[in-house]
Amino acid sequence: MKTILFAAGLFLLAWNCTSALAVDGAAILQQVDRKMQPESYEMYRKLINVEPDGKSKEFVLYTVKKGQEKMVALFLSPASENGRATLRLNENMWLYIPNVGKPIRITSLQSVVGGVFNNADILRLDFSVEYSVQQASEEGDHYVLVLKAKNATVAYDGLKMMVDKATLLPKTIECFAASGMLIKTLRYDKVKDFGGGIVSPSVLETDSPLYKGYKSVMITAKIEQKEFADEVFTLNYLPKVDELR
Amino acid sequence: MSFASQRFCPCWAALLVLLLLGVLPVSRTARAEEAFSLDMEEFEKKSWKLGGFAEIKGEHMDVRQGSAFSLLNLGEAPPSVLDQLTGSLQLNGSYAKGIAQLNWLLNTSGGQDTFGWKDSAEIYETYLNLTPSPGTAASFGKKSYKWGKGYAWNPVGFINRSKDPNNPEEALEGFITSDFEMIRSFSGDLRNIALTAALLPVRQGVNEDFGAEDNLNLAAKLYLLYLDTDIDFIVYSGNSRTTRFGADFSRNLTTNFEIHGEAAYVPEAERVILDEEGQPVRRSDSAASYLAGIRHLTEYDLTSIIEYYYNGLGFTEEELDRFYQRVAVGAEQRTLTGNDALLRQMQQLAAQGYARPNPGRHYLYARFSLKEPFDILYFTPALTTIFNLEDQSFSTTPELTYTGITNWELQLRFSLLNGGRASEFGEKQNSNKLELRVRSFF
Repeated sequence: MKTILFAAGLFLLAWNCTSALAVDGAAILQQVDRKMQPESYEMYRKLINVEPDGKSKEFVLYTVKKGQEKMVALFLSPASENGRATLRLNENMWLYIPNVGKPIRITSLQSVVGGVFNNADILRLDFSVEYSVQQASEEGDHYVLVLKAKNATVAYDGLKMMVDKATLLPKTIECFAASGMLIKTLRYDKVKDFGGGIVSPSVLETDSPLYKGYKSVMITAKIEQKEFADEVFTLNYLPKVDELR
Repeated sequence: MSFASQRFCPCWAALLVLLLLGVLPVSRTARAEEAFSLDMEEFEKKSWKLGGFAEIKGEHMDVRQGSAFSLLNLGEAPPSVLDQLTGSLQLNGSYAKGIAQLNWLLNTSGGQDTFGWKDSAEIYETYLNLTPSPGTAASFGKKSYKWGKGYAWNPVGFINRSKDPNNPEEALEGFITSDFEMIRSFSGDLRNIALTAALLPVRQGVNEDFGAEDNLNLAAKLYLLYLDTDIDFIVYSGNSRTTRFGADFSRNLTTNFEIHGEAAYVPEAERVILDEEGQPVRRSDSAASYLAGIRHLTEYDLTSIIEYYYNGLGFTEEELDRFYQRVAVGAEQRTLTGNDALLRQMQQLAAQGYARPNPGRHYLYARFSLKEPFDILYFTPALTTIFNLEDQSFSTTPELTYTGITNWELQLRFSLLNGGRASEFGEKQNSNKLELRVRSFF
C-alpha cells in the first residue's frame, strides 16, 4: 500500500512539475489582451510628455476600437491639435489634420504627439494580433513571454512581457528592434476597475534609452465596451469622429 | 509710423510684440500632481465647439528690381525692399443637434506693408452637414475640397482651390456646393468604398471665380481601399470648365516608405497664351498632367517628401519666355512714353495663369524635415525646394518650427529664389524672403 501511495505521490509531483514547465504562452497572451481591453470600446486618455527639465505637454484623446484591427483616435486637447484624427486599419495608418483637409498615410514608427510614444503605442491593437509567442516561462510571481512580430510591418520586432500571474495583466514590456537593441520600456501601473467588468492598468509610463531623461505617460480615465459601425473606420468619416461621443 | 524704412524688420517686431505681451517666457512647468489625472467633465461633449488661432507674421523681402513681376506689381520704381507685418485671426466652430451639424471657418487679417494698410475678411467655409448614418452623409453650403494625394500639387483636384506649394497645409476658401457621400465597408481585399458627388453652381455672386457663369457642374470621386492601397477615380463635368477625368493612389510599401501618384486628363483644355507676335490667343488642346511622389522616414526621424509634377495645363518655357519679354517691352514703353497699356494687358494675362505660383510644366519638389534633433522635443527643422526642371530655376526654403509651448507655434523661414533672366524664379517679384510667424491656438 505504501508503495502505491509513494508511486501516486511521485506521479502527482511529476504532473505538477510538467504543468508548470509547459506554460501555454499563447493562451496567456490572449487572456492578457482580453483583460487589457475589450474587443470593441470607446476610451478617453491623456498623454503627457515630460522633458528632463520637468516641462510637460499634454494631449487628450478620444479613442474607439472595433474588432481586432480597426481603431481611430481623435485629439480633444490641446487646442492646437483639436480635431486631428488618426485611423488604423490593420497595418494601414492615416492622419487627418483639419486645415490640411485630407488624410495622409503615416507609419507606426512615427509619432503624432512627439516624445517617447509612437503611433503604434497610441493605436495599439491586441498583442496577439501582431505578435506570436516565441518563449514562455515563469519567474516568481510573473510569467515571462518573449514575443516576436508576425511580420515586418509591426513597429517592434520583439517584446519581452512580464505578466502578473495573479491578475494576468502586464507589468512591464521591453520593446526591441530587429537588431536586438532595446527601444523602450513600457511600465503598467495603477490597476483600476473601469466598470463593466473591465479591470486593467490605468497608467502606462514609458522611457527610452534613445530619449535619455525624457518620459511619456498615458492615463486611461474611461473605457467602456461599445459597438460601432464599420463605416466609422474609413477616411471619409475622419472629420466626423467627434460625432461618436 | 513709416514701414518704408529699411531698418524696420517686421520679423523682429513680431517677436518684440510677443515678448512685450509676456507670452514667450511663460513656461509650462510640469505639475506632476495635476498631470496624472484627467478631468472627464472638462471633455464632455458639448453642442457648441469654438476654436481657431491668432497669428502675427513679419516678412522682410528683397525685391528683384527689373524682374517681370516686380515691374507688374510694384509700379515704375519698385523699392529695393518690402516689409510687411500682418495679424490674422482664424475662427472655426460647429453647432450640432441630432444628425445635423453646422460648421464654419472664418479668416480675417490686417497688415501694414511698405505701401500702406491692407485688410480682408473671408468666409472660408459655412456648411450644414447631415449624417443620418455613419455610411451616409450630405452637406450644403460653402465647403473646401482637398482631393488628390499629392503634397505640393493636385492635378486631380478639379474642384479644389489652388494651393500654394510653399504652404500646402494652410486652410483654403471653399466653393458653395451640395454634396452627397456614401460609404460601405467590407472584409476581404476590397475593404472600403466611398462615393462623393458634389454639385457646384456658378452664377452671378455664386462661385464666380470657378469658371463660366450660369452653369451647374458635377464632380464625383469614387474611393476604394483595395489591397491596402488608397485609390480614387475622379470626374468633373459641367460647362464652367471643360470635362476632366482623373485617378490617384497612395500605398505604404513598407512601414516607412509610401508612394503616391495622380493622373489627370482634360480632353479640351483651354489656355490663353501669347503667340509668336506676342498677341494673346486662346488655345484648346487635350492635356494630361501627372504627379508621382514618395514619402520616406528614416530611423532617425528624417521625413523626405519628393514629388515630380508634369503640368499639361502649364506654360512651356517658350510661352513663359514670351510673357517675360512682353512685360519688359511694356515696362520700357511706360518709361519712355508713359503709356502702360501693354503692361495692363500683361497684368490681365498674369491673372489668367502666368502669375500662378508654379505656371510651368516640369517640376521637382523636395521637402526634408527632421523631427526633434538633438533630443529637442517639438522642434522641427526642414528644408523645402521647388525646382523648375525646364529653366533650371528654383526656390530653397530652410525653416525652423517649434511647438513646445502648449498651443503656440513659432516658425522662422527664409526663402531664396534663384534663376537667370526669363526663368520662373528669376522673374518673381522677390529674390528672397525672411518670415517669422507666431501662432496662438485657442
